[in-house]
Amino acid sequence: MAVSNAAGTDTAALAPGGYPSLHRSRRRVKDGVLRGLIYLCAGITVCVLVGLIAYILIQGVPYITWSFLSTPYSARNEALKGILPMIINTLYIVAITLLIVTPVGLSAAIYLTQYAKQGRLVKAIRFTTEVLSGVPSIIFGLFGYTVFCVMLGMGVSILAGCLTMTICILPTIVRTTEESLLAVPDSYKEGALALGAGKLRVVLGIVLPCAMPGVLTALILGMGRIVGESAALIFTSGMSYDMPREFFGHVMQSGRTLTLHLYQMASQATDPNAFHIAYATASVLLILVFLLNRLASLLSHVFDKSAKARG
Amino acid sequence: MENTMNNEAKRRRAALRTRCFTIASAVIALAGAAMFFLPFVTFHLGRTDYTFTSLQVVSGFMNVNGTAVGLPVIAKIAAAVCPLAFLAGGVLVVLKLPRAASGCFMLAAIAPLAVMMTGNSITSTFLDLGVSRVEMSYHVAMAVMLVAGLVAAVLSMSTKGVDRLAEAVFLVFACVSVGAVLIITIYMIAAGTPAIAEIGLGNFLFGTEWAPTSGKYGILYMILASVFGTLGAILIGVPIGLFTAIFLAELAPRRLAGIVRPAVELLAGIPSVIYGFFGMIIIVPAIKAMFPSTFGDSLLAMILILAIMVLPTIVNVSETALRAVPVSYKEASLALGNTHVGTIFKVMIPAAKSGILAGVILGVGRAIGETMAVIMVCGNVVQFPELLSTVRPLTAGVVLEMSYSYGLHRQALFSIGLVLFVFIMIVNISFTMISRRGVKIDGRE
Repeated sequence: MAVSNAAGTDTAALAPGGYPSLHRSRRRVKDGVLRGLIYLCAGITVCVLVGLIAYILIQGVPYITWSFLSTPYSARNEALKGILPMIINTLYIVAITLLIVTPVGLSAAIYLTQYAKQGRLVKAIRFTTEVLSGVPSIIFGLFGYTVFCVMLGMGVSILAGCLTMTICILPTIVRTTEESLLAVPDSYKEGALALGAGKLRVVLGIVLPCAMPGVLTALILGMGRIVGESAALIFTSGMSYDMPREFFGHVMQSGRTLTLHLYQMASQATDPNAFHIAYATASVLLILVFLLNRLASLLSHVFDKSAKARG
Repeated sequence: MENTMNNEAKRRRAALRTRCFTIASAVIALAGAAMFFLPFVTFHLGRTDYTFTSLQVVSGFMNVNGTAVGLPVIAKIAAAVCPLAFLAGGVLVVLKLPRAASGCFMLAAIAPLAVMMTGNSITSTFLDLGVSRVEMSYHVAMAVMLVAGLVAAVLSMSTKGVDRLAEAVFLVFACVSVGAVLIITIYMIAAGTPAIAEIGLGNFLFGTEWAPTSGKYGILYMILASVFGTLGAILIGVPIGLFTAIFLAELAPRRLAGIVRPAVELLAGIPSVIYGFFGMIIIVPAIKAMFPSTFGDSLLAMILILAIMVLPTIVNVSETALRAVPVSYKEASLALGNTHVGTIFKVMIPAAKSGILAGVILGVGRAIGETMAVIMVCGNVVQFPELLSTVRPLTAGVVLEMSYSYGLHRQALFSIGLVLFVFIMIVNISFTMISRRGVKIDGRE
């Protein structure tokens, strides 16, 4: 009885005779209500997601045709309402940003996990990485505009957008890579060191290959972030929708990504055509994000499995 | 016998390599220092070209229309630091202090970049003197110094062997984020303060009228819109998020959790423009249908969209915090006869309090900084934020007018950015402090 007294301070927990009862206390009304609320909230979360995705896809998918994906866009010409330049610009920004951020993020993660001794510098690096991950993208946009576009004279260009995005996603890359590097068992390193391998060879030959799926996951997460970014790019890579003329020269041109195209189309609310384009672009974006998301979770699943197999 | 020979040969080769690297980096250092006397920057003023060596940048001035124009101090410092750093690096590498030497070389590589920062002030100086077109060309010299400095830094580090070189390279990259935060902070302050100084801090923060065309820059209503929007989103988002987290951490059967968790992950990955679009086509018309006298674009729409957007953050952080509660707490509570739900609310949530609070703060940061989604649903009129009136938060204020603003107006937009930045920094630092405290408590127990 003493046991149920400790918990059964509620009057609801008292049996009709006034004695606290273990049996009754399990079915308190309050518990039921709370449990119901918990299920309800989880339900709301899922429903919002499913509703959002379903609505946009149902409205948008019928407009996704091959010509929509493969023609350029023109504000005047009714026949040219495709999103090819936006797709190309998005690809440019994803590719170049990853090219810059991979060595930087990987090196930072390697330093933090393999070389760093706890000290003020390491603390500063960790703190600033955390701060960076909390800075909203509009601030990155303002910063990128003043520093890359104006001060360094790049103008509003894809390259400036890429550099801005690099700073934007650096924290994600560093943190995720760090985790996967830490998951490599010490015994592997010790074995290699005992065989006479140098530190660099251990890092590049043993630790990095073992952590590869984790690194790839980090990069895919970064890709998702870039594809979905808009506020940081609106000032830095701009809104131009011209088809690229030269392969390398395009880097210095302004270019609108898919997200910015969606924003632009959605804000032309008076034109029903623009709305169709907006729905279709949103669907393309959703499908892209979904695929990247699945790929990342698949990879981290593989990684977990191999980590478990290693013990 | 053969073995010792081998070792001997190896050692000799290593010594030779060290010497080669030392000599090579010393030579580059000398060359870099010699650039003090080579052309560094050229100004094209109309038809006249003025070419300056670094030495002249430090000491000289231009005679434009009879007025002597000196270069900005930052440019002078940069021009002076670069060769000195090269020289110092050369001396240090000969003295077998490769780490200090490579530091000097890096400084020499980066210093010329400071000249770029002065570009605007130089241009405006000339504009004041009536010179309409000014072009500066310094890119060749700068690229040469950058490459020379980096190569010298790598070479001088190589004298200690490839392992030490690799460590140095990793370290430099690791410092990128420190540098980024420093530069962002400096720039936000440098770009944001001039307008505040001109308008007056009180007028700017507490002014209620935003009318750039008539010179009125008060952002109080924007601040209030941001604050109200964030508070509303947190009020709605936190209960739903926390309960979803409880569901995932404690109550969900495996299969259901297998549906809900990826859903939350996906929710975090959906671009904010899509949320904005969704708000535009579903939430705004719904509000308009319910309250026909309004436009639908409103603070309420903003709150609802933000509440959805902060959900994943709150769910993830709270779930992690709940899972970190030691099992013994839960077991003790259950053993005392508490029910599962009672245990969750009386024992686990109090124990995970600081983690959950950290999630809420992170959510606040997301909500304040959210831009594109909010612009698409909030209506963007600067006025006192009421639940059903159209509002304009800080972030929207920056984006909407950026493209056509100039002069004080543009500077004022950067000042809005600075206000936002200060908000975010406060949020960020309190997040770090709270999550650290959480770790400490867990560590003690």
